[in-house]
Amino acid sequence: MKQDKRVIVAGFTAVAVGAAAALLTADRAARAADHLDPPSRTDPAVDTTPDKAADIADVFAWYDANFVNIAMTFAGPSAASLPATYDRDVLYTINISNDETSFTPEYQIRMRFGQDGSAWGVQFTGVPGTTGPIEGPVDTDLKQGNVTVRAGLFDDPFFFDLQGFKTTKSTGQLSFSNTRNFFDGQNDTAMVMEIPRSALASGNNPIRIWGTTARFGGQI
Amino acid sequence: MRRTLPLMASSLALLLLAGCGGSDGSSTPAPPAPPPVANEDPPAPAGANFDILPCLQQEVLPGRNVGNLVVPDTLTIDFSLPSSFPNGRRLEDPVVDLTLAVLFLDLKKEPVTRFSALPLNPPGNDLPFRSSFPFLAAAQGDHPVSGAGKNFNFRTDAPSAYVRVDRMGMPAVATVLISKAMKSAYNDSDPIDDDKLKYFNDISHDLTALTNALSDDLAALKLNMCAVKK
Repeated sequence: MKQDKRVIVAGFTAVAVGAAAALLTADRAARAADHLDPPSRTDPAVDTTPDKAADIADVFAWYDANFVNIAMTFAGPSAASLPATYDRDVLYTINISNDETSFTPEYQIRMRFGQDGSAWGVQFTGVPGTTGPIEGPVDTDLKQGNVTVRAGLFDDPFFFDLQGFKTTKSTGQLSFSNTRNFFDGQNDTAMVMEIPRSALASGNNPIRIWGTTARFGGQI
Repeated sequence: MRRTLPLMASSLALLLLAGCGGSDGSSTPAPPAPPPVANEDPPAPAGANFDILPCLQQEVLPGRNVGNLVVPDTLTIDFSLPSSFPNGRRLEDPVVDLTLAVLFLDLKKEPVTRFSALPLNPPGNDLPFRSSFPFLAAAQGDHPVSGAGKNFNFRTDAPSAYVRVDRMGMPAVATVLISKAMKSAYNDSDPIDDDKLKYFNDISHDLTALTNALSDDLAALKLNMCAVKK
Protein backbone atom coordinates (compact mmCIF):
# COMPACT_ATOMS: atom_id res chain seq x y z
CA MET A 1 0.00 0.00 0.00
CA LYS A 2 1.31 3.42 -0.89
CA GLN A 3 1.79 6.33 1.42
CA ASP A 4 1.01 9.95 0.75
CA LYS A 5 4.25 11.69 1.55
CA ARG A 6 6.78 9.76 -0.48
CA VAL A 7 9.52 12.24 -1.19
CA ILE A 8 12.64 10.58 -2.44
CA VAL A 9 14.08 7.25 -3.43
CA ALA A 10 17.38 6.39 -1.83
CA GLY A 11 19.01 4.07 0.61
CA PHE A 12 20.16 0.82 -0.86
CA THR A 13 23.40 0.73 -2.71
CA ALA A 14 22.81 -1.77 -5.43
CA VAL A 15 26.06 -3.68 -5.01
CA ALA A 16 24.80 -6.57 -2.95
CA VAL A 17 21.16 -6.66 -3.70
CA GLY A 18 20.89 -5.72 -7.30
CA ALA A 19 18.25 -3.26 -8.26
CA ALA A 20 16.98 -1.86 -5.00
CA ALA A 21 15.32 1.17 -3.64
CA ALA A 22 14.00 2.37 -0.36
CA LEU A 23 11.35 4.98 -0.04
CA LEU A 24 11.93 7.76 2.39
CA THR A 25 9.27 9.81 3.99
CA ALA A 26 9.35 12.81 6.24
CA ASP A 27 8.09 11.74 9.62
CA ARG A 28 7.97 12.80 13.20
CA ALA A 29 10.60 11.62 15.63
CA ALA A 30 9.76 8.64 17.75
CA ARG A 31 11.35 5.82 19.72
CA ALA A 32 14.14 3.53 18.65
CA ALA A 33 16.26 0.99 20.52
CA ASP A 34 14.37 1.67 23.73
CA HIS A 35 14.30 5.45 23.77
CA LEU A 36 10.85 6.74 24.78
CA ASP A 37 9.54 3.25 25.52
CA PRO A 38 7.12 2.46 27.06
CA PRO A 39 5.48 5.52 25.50
CA SER A 40 2.78 5.85 28.14
CA ARG A 41 5.48 6.51 30.75
CA THR A 42 8.33 8.16 28.89
CA ASP A 43 7.25 9.67 25.58
CA PRO A 44 6.22 13.35 25.81
CA ALA A 45 4.10 12.84 22.71
CA VAL A 46 1.94 10.41 24.69
CA ASP A 47 2.54 11.17 28.36
CA THR A 48 2.11 14.64 29.87
CA THR A 49 4.56 13.72 32.65
CA PRO A 50 7.22 11.66 30.88
CA ASP A 51 9.81 10.07 33.13
CA LYS A 52 12.91 11.10 31.23
CA ALA A 53 15.35 10.06 33.94
CA ALA A 54 14.00 6.50 34.04
CA ASP A 55 13.78 6.04 30.28
CA ILE A 56 16.35 3.46 29.18
CA ALA A 57 17.83 4.19 25.78
CA ASP A 58 20.12 1.20 25.22
CA VAL A 59 21.96 -1.60 26.99
CA PHE A 60 25.36 -2.80 25.77
CA ALA A 61 27.51 -5.68 27.01
CA TRP A 62 30.71 -7.04 25.53
CA TYR A 63 33.90 -8.65 26.67
CA ASP A 64 37.62 -8.83 26.03
CA ALA A 65 40.36 -11.03 27.43
CA ASN A 66 40.11 -9.63 30.93
CA PHE A 67 36.90 -7.68 31.37
CA VAL A 68 33.17 -7.64 30.76
CA ASN A 69 32.02 -4.13 29.90
CA ILE A 70 28.45 -3.05 30.45
CA ALA A 71 26.83 0.27 29.57
CA MET A 72 23.28 1.46 29.97
CA THR A 73 22.23 4.78 28.45
CA PHE A 74 19.13 6.69 29.46
CA ALA A 75 17.38 10.07 29.41
CA GLY A 76 17.99 10.65 25.76
CA PRO A 77 18.54 11.52 23.09
CA SER A 78 19.12 14.96 24.53
CA ALA A 79 20.22 18.14 22.78
CA ALA A 80 23.93 18.87 23.14
CA SER A 81 23.20 22.11 24.97
CA LEU A 82 21.36 20.36 27.81
CA PRO A 83 22.90 19.02 31.02
CA ALA A 84 22.87 15.39 32.11
CA THR A 85 19.71 14.07 33.75
CA TYR A 86 20.34 13.05 37.37
CA ASP A 87 17.42 12.07 39.57
CA ARG A 88 17.77 10.98 43.19
CA ASP A 89 14.49 9.06 43.02
CA VAL A 90 15.38 6.66 40.23
CA LEU A 91 16.96 3.27 40.84
CA TYR A 92 18.94 1.83 37.94
CA THR A 93 19.60 -1.91 37.96
CA ILE A 94 21.77 -4.09 35.79
CA ASN A 95 20.64 -7.69 36.23
CA ILE A 96 23.08 -10.49 35.49
CA SER A 97 22.44 -14.21 35.47
CA ASN A 98 25.40 -16.54 35.26
CA ASP A 99 23.97 -19.86 36.34
CA GLU A 100 21.90 -22.52 34.61
CA THR A 101 18.62 -20.95 35.68
CA SER A 102 19.32 -18.20 33.28
CA PHE A 103 16.32 -15.93 33.80
CA THR A 104 16.79 -15.02 37.43
CA PRO A 105 19.66 -12.69 38.35
CA GLU A 106 22.57 -13.81 40.50
CA TYR A 107 23.84 -10.24 40.53
CA GLN A 108 21.88 -7.01 40.70
CA ILE A 109 24.05 -3.96 40.30
CA ARG A 110 22.21 -0.91 41.63
CA MET A 111 23.01 2.67 40.74
CA ARG A 112 21.63 5.78 42.43
CA PHE A 113 22.32 9.49 42.15
CA GLY A 114 22.61 11.83 45.13
CA GLN A 115 23.42 15.49 45.73
CA ASP A 116 25.86 17.48 47.80
CA GLY A 117 24.49 20.96 47.43
CA SER A 118 24.30 21.51 43.71
CA ALA A 119 26.89 18.84 42.95
CA TRP A 120 25.79 15.38 41.84
CA GLY A 121 27.32 12.11 42.87
CA VAL A 122 26.72 8.48 41.98
CA GLN A 123 26.69 5.27 43.98
CA PHE A 124 27.10 1.75 42.59
CA THR A 125 26.32 -1.23 44.81
CA GLY A 126 26.44 -4.95 44.21
CA VAL A 127 29.12 -4.80 41.54
CA PRO A 128 30.80 -8.22 41.20
CA GLY A 129 34.43 -7.97 42.22
CA THR A 130 33.82 -5.29 44.85
CA THR A 131 33.49 -5.47 48.61
CA GLY A 132 31.23 -2.47 49.09
CA PRO A 133 29.65 0.54 47.42
CA ILE A 134 31.57 2.62 44.92
CA GLU A 135 30.72 6.28 45.35
CA GLY A 136 31.95 9.56 43.98
CA PRO A 137 31.24 12.51 41.72
CA VAL A 138 29.56 12.06 38.36
CA ASP A 139 31.66 12.38 35.21
CA THR A 140 34.54 10.71 37.02
CA ASP A 141 36.14 7.27 36.71
CA LEU A 142 35.63 5.54 40.06
CA LYS A 143 37.68 2.46 40.94
CA GLN A 144 37.59 -0.28 43.51
CA GLY A 145 40.06 -3.10 43.00
CA ASN A 146 39.95 -4.04 39.34
CA VAL A 147 36.45 -2.63 38.83
CA THR A 148 35.97 0.77 37.20
CA VAL A 149 32.63 2.56 36.95
CA ARG A 150 31.43 5.92 35.77
CA ALA A 151 28.15 7.76 35.31
CA GLY A 152 27.65 11.00 33.47
CA LEU A 153 26.84 12.65 30.20
CA PHE A 154 28.08 11.03 26.98
CA ASP A 155 27.43 11.15 23.28
CA ASP A 156 24.41 9.00 22.37
CA PRO A 157 26.12 5.88 20.97
CA PHE A 158 23.18 4.61 18.96
CA PHE A 159 23.13 5.07 15.20
CA PHE A 160 19.97 4.38 13.33
CA ASP A 161 17.51 5.91 10.89
CA LEU A 162 14.70 6.40 13.35
CA GLN A 163 12.58 8.21 10.83
CA GLY A 164 12.91 5.33 8.41
CA PHE A 165 12.01 2.81 11.09
CA LYS A 166 8.83 4.64 11.97
CA THR A 167 7.85 5.00 8.37
CA THR A 168 8.61 1.35 7.65
CA LYS A 169 6.49 0.20 10.55
CA SER A 170 3.58 2.49 9.78
CA THR A 171 3.49 2.05 6.01
CA GLY A 172 4.80 -1.47 5.46
CA GLN A 173 7.42 -0.15 3.07
CA LEU A 174 11.16 -0.42 3.63
CA SER A 175 12.04 3.22 4.18
CA PHE A 176 15.51 3.37 5.66
CA SER A 177 18.32 5.69 4.62
CA ASN A 178 21.94 5.16 5.58
CA THR A 179 22.59 8.89 5.52
CA ARG A 180 20.02 9.76 8.15
CA ASN A 181 20.99 9.21 11.79
CA PHE A 182 18.48 10.67 14.20
CA PHE A 183 21.00 10.48 17.05
CA ASP A 184 23.71 12.60 15.44
CA GLY A 185 24.86 15.40 17.71
CA GLN A 186 22.84 14.29 20.71
CA ASN A 187 23.70 13.01 24.17
CA ASP A 188 22.52 10.50 26.75
CA THR A 189 23.16 10.17 30.42
CA ALA A 190 24.76 6.79 31.02
CA MET A 191 26.38 4.33 33.39
CA VAL A 192 29.43 2.34 32.32
CA MET A 193 31.18 -0.49 34.14
CA GLU A 194 34.34 -2.49 33.51
CA ILE A 195 34.22 -5.70 35.56
CA PRO A 196 36.81 -8.50 35.63
CA ARG A 197 35.61 -11.56 33.73
CA SER A 198 36.73 -13.68 36.65
CA ALA A 199 34.16 -11.96 38.86
CA LEU A 200 31.27 -12.70 36.52
CA ALA A 201 31.92 -15.94 34.71
CA SER A 202 30.67 -19.21 36.14
CA GLY A 203 32.29 -22.10 34.36
CA ASN A 204 31.11 -22.32 30.78
CA ASN A 205 27.69 -20.84 31.49
CA PRO A 206 26.63 -17.98 29.24
CA ILE A 207 25.73 -14.82 31.12
CA ARG A 208 22.50 -12.97 30.52
CA ILE A 209 22.19 -9.24 31.09
CA TRP A 210 19.24 -6.87 31.18
CA GLY A 211 18.56 -3.42 32.58
CA THR A 212 15.66 -2.01 34.53
CA THR A 213 14.69 1.33 36.02
CA ALA A 214 12.30 2.08 38.85
CA ARG A 215 11.09 5.24 40.56
CA PHE A 216 10.86 5.77 44.30
CA GLY A 217 7.26 5.98 45.47
CA GLY A 218 5.70 5.15 42.11
CA GLN A 219 5.58 6.30 38.53
CA ILE A 220 5.09 9.96 37.77
CA MET B 1 -5.92 -14.35 8.99
CA ARG B 2 -6.20 -13.07 12.54
CA ARG B 3 -8.36 -16.06 13.58
CA THR B 4 -5.60 -18.52 12.74
CA LEU B 5 -3.00 -16.85 14.92
CA PRO B 6 -3.65 -18.63 18.21
CA LEU B 7 -3.07 -22.00 16.61
CA MET B 8 0.07 -20.78 14.93
CA ALA B 9 1.31 -19.20 18.13
CA SER B 10 0.78 -22.42 20.03
CA SER B 11 3.04 -24.25 17.62
CA LEU B 12 5.65 -21.55 17.95
CA ALA B 13 5.39 -21.63 21.70
CA LEU B 14 6.14 -25.33 21.76
CA LEU B 15 9.09 -24.74 19.50
CA LEU B 16 10.50 -22.04 21.72
CA LEU B 17 9.96 -24.01 24.87
CA ALA B 18 12.00 -26.78 23.36
CA GLY B 19 14.66 -24.30 22.39
CA CYS B 20 14.79 -22.34 25.62
CA GLY B 21 14.35 -25.04 28.17
CA GLY B 22 17.47 -27.07 27.60
CA SER B 23 19.62 -25.17 30.02
CA ASP B 24 16.93 -23.96 32.35
CA GLY B 25 14.93 -26.14 34.63
CA SER B 26 12.31 -23.44 35.05
CA SER B 27 10.70 -24.03 31.66
CA THR B 28 7.27 -25.54 32.03
CA PRO B 29 4.37 -25.82 29.62
CA ALA B 30 3.16 -22.34 28.91
CA PRO B 31 -0.01 -21.18 30.63
CA PRO B 32 -2.82 -20.11 28.34
CA ALA B 33 -1.55 -16.99 26.71
CA PRO B 34 -3.73 -13.95 26.14
CA PRO B 35 -4.95 -13.54 22.59
CA PRO B 36 -2.94 -11.37 20.25
CA VAL B 37 -3.57 -7.75 20.92
CA ALA B 38 -5.05 -5.71 18.14
CA ASN B 39 -2.23 -3.52 16.97
CA GLU B 40 -1.78 -0.89 14.33
CA ASP B 41 -0.47 -3.38 11.84
CA PRO B 42 1.42 -1.98 8.87
CA PRO B 43 -0.58 -2.28 5.65
CA ALA B 44 0.25 -5.43 3.73
CA PRO B 45 -0.09 -6.17 0.02
CA ALA B 46 -3.20 -8.08 -0.97
CA GLY B 47 -2.92 -11.80 -0.31
CA ALA B 48 0.21 -11.64 1.81
CA ASN B 49 -0.06 -14.47 4.32
CA PHE B 50 3.25 -15.80 5.62
CA ASP B 51 4.32 -18.35 8.18
CA ILE B 52 7.19 -16.99 10.32
CA LEU B 53 7.99 -20.29 12.04
CA PRO B 54 11.03 -20.95 9.78
CA CYS B 55 12.39 -17.53 10.74
CA LEU B 56 12.27 -18.28 14.45
CA GLN B 57 13.87 -21.68 13.85
CA GLN B 58 16.90 -20.23 12.09
CA GLU B 59 20.11 -20.90 13.97
CA VAL B 60 22.04 -17.65 14.41
CA LEU B 61 24.69 -18.81 16.86
CA PRO B 62 25.64 -22.36 17.78
CA GLY B 63 22.68 -23.78 19.69
CA ARG B 64 20.71 -20.54 19.55
CA ASN B 65 17.99 -19.76 17.05
CA VAL B 66 16.19 -16.50 16.39
CA GLY B 67 13.43 -17.40 18.81
CA ASN B 68 16.00 -17.85 21.56
CA LEU B 69 17.35 -14.37 20.87
CA VAL B 70 13.96 -12.74 21.21
CA VAL B 71 12.64 -14.75 24.16
CA PRO B 72 13.68 -14.09 26.87
CA ASP B 73 14.54 -10.45 26.32
CA THR B 74 18.15 -10.33 27.52
CA LEU B 75 21.57 -9.80 26.07
CA THR B 76 23.50 -13.06 26.23
CA ILE B 77 27.26 -13.50 26.25
CA ASP B 78 28.84 -16.86 25.51
CA PHE B 79 32.55 -16.51 26.25
CA SER B 80 33.38 -19.26 23.77
CA LEU B 81 32.10 -17.13 20.88
CA PRO B 82 33.34 -13.83 19.44
CA SER B 83 32.10 -10.78 21.28
CA SER B 84 29.76 -9.10 18.84
CA PHE B 85 26.02 -8.86 18.37
CA PRO B 86 24.01 -11.00 18.87
CA ASN B 87 26.58 -12.52 21.25
CA GLY B 88 26.35 -9.52 23.55
CA ARG B 89 26.28 -6.08 21.98
CA ARG B 90 29.26 -3.85 21.28
CA LEU B 91 28.86 -0.12 20.87
CA GLU B 92 29.82 -0.32 17.21
CA ASP B 93 27.56 -3.23 16.24
CA PRO B 94 24.99 -2.41 13.52
CA VAL B 95 22.22 -3.99 15.54
CA VAL B 96 19.27 -2.76 13.50
CA ASP B 97 20.54 -4.07 10.16
CA LEU B 98 21.56 -7.37 11.75
CA THR B 99 18.21 -7.71 13.49
CA LEU B 100 16.31 -7.06 10.28
CA ALA B 101 18.34 -9.77 8.57
CA VAL B 102 17.71 -12.45 11.18
CA LEU B 103 14.00 -11.64 11.38
CA PHE B 104 13.26 -11.56 7.66
CA LEU B 105 15.97 -13.29 5.61
CA ASP B 106 16.69 -16.95 4.95
CA LEU B 107 20.14 -17.21 6.50
CA LYS B 108 20.91 -20.37 4.56
CA LYS B 109 20.76 -18.29 1.38
CA GLU B 110 21.58 -14.80 2.59
CA PRO B 111 24.45 -13.71 4.83
CA VAL B 112 23.41 -12.24 8.15
CA THR B 113 25.39 -9.19 7.03
CA ARG B 114 23.19 -8.65 3.95
CA PHE B 115 21.72 -5.39 5.22
CA SER B 116 24.68 -4.18 7.30
CA ALA B 117 26.98 -4.61 4.27
CA LEU B 118 24.89 -2.19 2.23
CA PRO B 119 24.33 -0.60 4.79
CA LEU B 120 20.61 -0.09 5.17
CA ASN B 121 21.02 2.19 8.20
CA PRO B 122 23.91 4.53 9.05
CA PRO B 123 27.02 2.35 9.38
CA GLY B 124 28.40 3.87 12.55
CA ASN B 125 28.21 6.48 15.24
CA ASP B 126 28.78 10.13 14.42
CA LEU B 127 31.72 10.22 16.86
CA PRO B 128 34.39 7.53 17.29
CA PHE B 129 34.13 5.40 20.40
CA ARG B 130 37.02 5.38 22.84
CA SER B 131 39.19 2.27 22.83
CA SER B 132 39.43 2.17 26.63
CA PHE B 133 37.20 2.99 29.56
CA PRO B 134 34.66 4.64 29.51
CA PHE B 135 34.40 3.60 25.84
CA LEU B 136 31.47 5.91 25.04
CA ALA B 137 32.39 9.09 23.19
CA ALA B 138 32.50 12.29 25.18
CA ALA B 139 29.30 14.30 25.34
CA GLN B 140 28.73 16.69 22.48
CA GLY B 141 28.17 20.42 22.72
CA ASP B 142 28.57 23.04 25.39
CA HIS B 143 26.43 21.84 28.28
CA PRO B 144 26.27 22.67 31.98
CA VAL B 145 28.30 20.34 34.23
CA SER B 146 27.89 19.30 37.84
CA GLY B 147 30.00 20.93 40.54
CA ALA B 148 32.35 19.25 43.02
CA GLY B 149 31.09 17.44 46.10
CA LYS B 150 31.65 14.41 48.29
CA ASN B 151 28.86 14.04 50.86
CA PHE B 152 26.06 12.92 48.58
CA ASN B 153 22.56 12.16 49.90
CA PHE B 154 21.93 8.83 48.20
CA ARG B 155 18.64 7.16 49.01
CA THR B 156 18.93 4.11 51.24
CA ASP B 157 15.42 2.78 50.60
CA ALA B 158 15.06 -0.87 49.67
CA PRO B 159 14.41 -1.73 46.00
CA SER B 160 10.88 -2.70 47.02
CA ALA B 161 10.17 1.01 47.62
CA TYR B 162 10.60 1.68 43.91
CA VAL B 163 8.12 1.01 41.10
CA ARG B 164 9.27 -0.30 37.73
CA VAL B 165 9.30 2.13 34.82
CA ASP B 166 11.36 0.52 32.05
CA ARG B 167 13.34 -2.57 31.12
CA MET B 168 15.57 -3.53 28.23
CA GLY B 169 17.61 -6.48 27.01
CA MET B 170 17.83 -7.03 23.28
CA PRO B 171 17.43 -4.02 21.02
CA ALA B 172 14.17 -3.77 19.09
CA VAL B 173 12.19 -6.43 20.94
CA ALA B 174 10.16 -4.11 23.19
CA THR B 175 9.98 -1.37 20.59
CA VAL B 176 9.29 -3.37 17.43
CA LEU B 177 7.72 -6.67 18.44
CA ILE B 178 5.53 -5.68 21.38
CA SER B 179 2.23 -3.99 20.60
CA LYS B 180 1.41 -0.58 22.02
CA ALA B 181 -1.30 -2.05 24.21
CA MET B 182 1.10 -4.49 25.85
CA LYS B 183 4.11 -2.22 26.31
CA SER B 184 3.52 -1.19 29.89
CA ALA B 185 2.84 -4.75 31.02
CA TYR B 186 5.89 -5.94 29.11
CA ASN B 187 8.14 -3.40 30.79
CA ASP B 188 6.77 -4.42 34.17
CA SER B 189 7.68 -8.03 33.50
CA ASP B 190 10.97 -9.89 33.71
CA PRO B 191 12.81 -12.45 31.62
CA ILE B 192 11.29 -15.22 33.69
CA ASP B 193 7.89 -14.07 32.39
CA ASP B 194 9.26 -14.06 28.85
CA ASP B 195 10.45 -17.60 29.39
CA LYS B 196 6.89 -18.58 30.26
CA LEU B 197 5.89 -17.13 26.87
CA LYS B 198 3.63 -14.54 28.45
CA TYR B 199 4.06 -12.22 25.45
CA PHE B 200 4.65 -14.73 22.75
CA ASN B 201 1.33 -14.34 20.96
CA ASP B 202 1.91 -10.63 20.80
CA ILE B 203 5.43 -11.05 19.42
CA SER B 204 4.37 -13.62 16.84
CA HIS B 205 1.46 -11.47 15.73
CA ASP B 206 3.61 -8.37 15.27
CA LEU B 207 6.39 -10.24 13.47
CA THR B 208 3.85 -11.87 11.16
CA ALA B 209 2.26 -8.51 10.41
CA LEU B 210 5.63 -6.94 9.62
CA THR B 211 6.61 -9.89 7.44
CA ASN B 212 3.37 -9.70 5.48
CA ALA B 213 3.75 -5.95 5.07
CA LEU B 214 7.37 -6.05 3.90
CA SER B 215 7.04 -9.17 1.76
CA ASP B 216 6.53 -7.25 -1.48
CA ASP B 217 9.51 -5.00 -0.85
CA LEU B 218 11.77 -7.94 0.02
CA ALA B 219 10.61 -9.83 -3.06
CA ALA B 220 11.21 -6.79 -5.25
CA LEU B 221 14.75 -6.65 -3.92
CA LYS B 222 15.15 -10.34 -4.81
CA LEU B 223 15.97 -11.21 -1.24
CA ASN B 224 15.32 -14.72 0.04
CA MET B 225 12.85 -14.56 2.89
CA CYS B 226 12.83 -16.96 5.82
CA ALA B 227 9.04 -16.84 6.07
CA VAL B 228 7.09 -19.08 3.73
CA LYS B 229 3.75 -18.55 2.07
CA LYS B 230 0.90 -20.41 3.69
